[in-house]
Amino acid sequence: MSEEYSLEIKHLNKYFNVDGKSVEILKDINLQIKKGEFITIVGHSGCGKSTLLKIVAGLVDYSDGEVIRNGKPAKEPDVDCGMVFQEHRLLPWLKIKDNVGFGLDKSDKEKWYKTVLQYIELVNLKGFENAYPSQFSGGMSQRAAIARGLVANPEILLLDEPFGALDAMTRVQMQKELLRIWKEEQRTMIMVTHDIDEAVFLGERIIVMSARPGEIKEIITTDKYSRRNRGSSGFAAYKKKIYDYFFQDSAELLEEAEFMI
Amino acid sequence: MKKKETVKQILLGIIPAIVILLFWFLTTHFTDVPSSILPRISQVGNKFVEMLQNGQLQEDLIISLSRVIKGYLIAAVFGILLGSIMGMSKTITYILHPTLTVIRQIPIIAWIPLIILWCGIGEASKIVVIVMAAFFPILVNTMSGISSTPSGFIEVAKLYRLNYWKTFTKVYLPHALPNMLVGLKLGLGVSWMAVVAAELIASLSGIGYRMSNARSLMNSDVVIVCMIVIGLVGIIMDKLLTLLFSVLTPWEKANKK
Repeated sequence: MSEEYSLEIKHLNKYFNVDGKSVEILKDINLQIKKGEFITIVGHSGCGKSTLLKIVAGLVDYSDGEVIRNGKPAKEPDVDCGMVFQEHRLLPWLKIKDNVGFGLDKSDKEKWYKTVLQYIELVNLKGFENAYPSQFSGGMSQRAAIARGLVANPEILLLDEPFGALDAMTRVQMQKELLRIWKEEQRTMIMVTHDIDEAVFLGERIIVMSARPGEIKEIITTDKYSRRNRGSSGFAAYKKKIYDYFFQDSAELLEEAEFMI
Repeated sequence: MKKKETVKQILLGIIPAIVILLFWFLTTHFTDVPSSILPRISQVGNKFVEMLQNGQLQEDLIISLSRVIKGYLIAAVFGILLGSIMGMSKTITYILHPTLTVIRQIPIIAWIPLIILWCGIGEASKIVVIVMAAFFPILVNTMSGISSTPSGFIEVAKLYRLNYWKTFTKVYLPHALPNMLVGLKLGLGVSWMAVVAAELIASLSGIGYRMSNARSLMNSDVVIVCMIVIGLVGIIMDKLLTLLFSVLTPWEKANKK
């Protein structure tokens, strides 16, 4: 039944223990993501969106609910789900080829290298196989990290604010690159971001999350023409809609604060 | 430009040595200090050549060096092993850290009487002294290198389902290598010092014994030759270790560029 979905989340709750107190991080998350979809998740920092991704990756366990990843419960990391972090997290002691091929079975060396090269080419880093990460710029490092995330041929690629630390120019360039890779590779991509512009540009569906506890406020489905054209009125309308969510959020808080005074 | 800077650095660096040699020269030529207290530079030079020619210097050095190598290797194995385990496990650190910290405060010289009582004045006692001296710097630095591995890298290893051993060899160990080098260099330095100290106190062979023997015969030239040789050997060992590690950590070179 779940064949067409890459990810199904039902009534997911997550609590953290902070100083002996149980703090609700994620509250009743329900989500279904189809194969090959590009989903962006926007929200304030601290709204639990990164935790949500880590739960999907199997790096963090959850308190209750169900997370079905590629038809199986997500309990631990697996090759069917790659991940790219905000900091590129390339290992400084490994050459780019070894970083890209980090999670790949190396028993057949020739096949390993062929696959690694294929993904290095995919992210336009051909010729840099033997460089070390310290010789790379932020954008190049993130390209290599994307190649590492894709090399094991996962169904899903999770991206946790991958372009958050890049300068504005590089960021837009990388968004376009990611879009090209998504089209070529046909993977499900789930990206967390705090950049509303980025969320609209990339997301077929945009998940808007509120903070404390992290809840899904709305899921916005965008049309292709509007999201790909930053100058279009549709693009601006989507952006405004999301802005309003956060603005409303903070307006409420403001009122509350005034009331308390 | 770069070359000029290096030349300048070397020239500036030898100024103190020249000043010391000058004072030494002036003292021996224009005062009446007896040569059994401070020999002339030329006398020390002649003694050095003589000791090389009759093979005494090499013989002493080989004896001392072989002690250092034995003790140092034992210390390195245990220091790296325990340092890695402690760096990866908080529980084991909690158990061992207080005791080890207390033991560390005792200077190596203070261990020598007890070690002589337990192990005699033979080979074993020298090696134990070296192990005791070199173990702690290696342990402490390995531990800090391993435990400072960024959690982000460990999470990457977890994401790719690396087992415990692979996580150690591919993430913790390479991250700790530069720190381990610091520990291994410090350890080598102190084990060289420790062997000389042990030989000075109780021994019938080695370069430390040669010095203490020469002192009782008032041969200050031999003492000074031995001191200079000890210093030189220390520097050479240190440089060799640096060279070995620059081969082992090629990414560090890329970092500096």
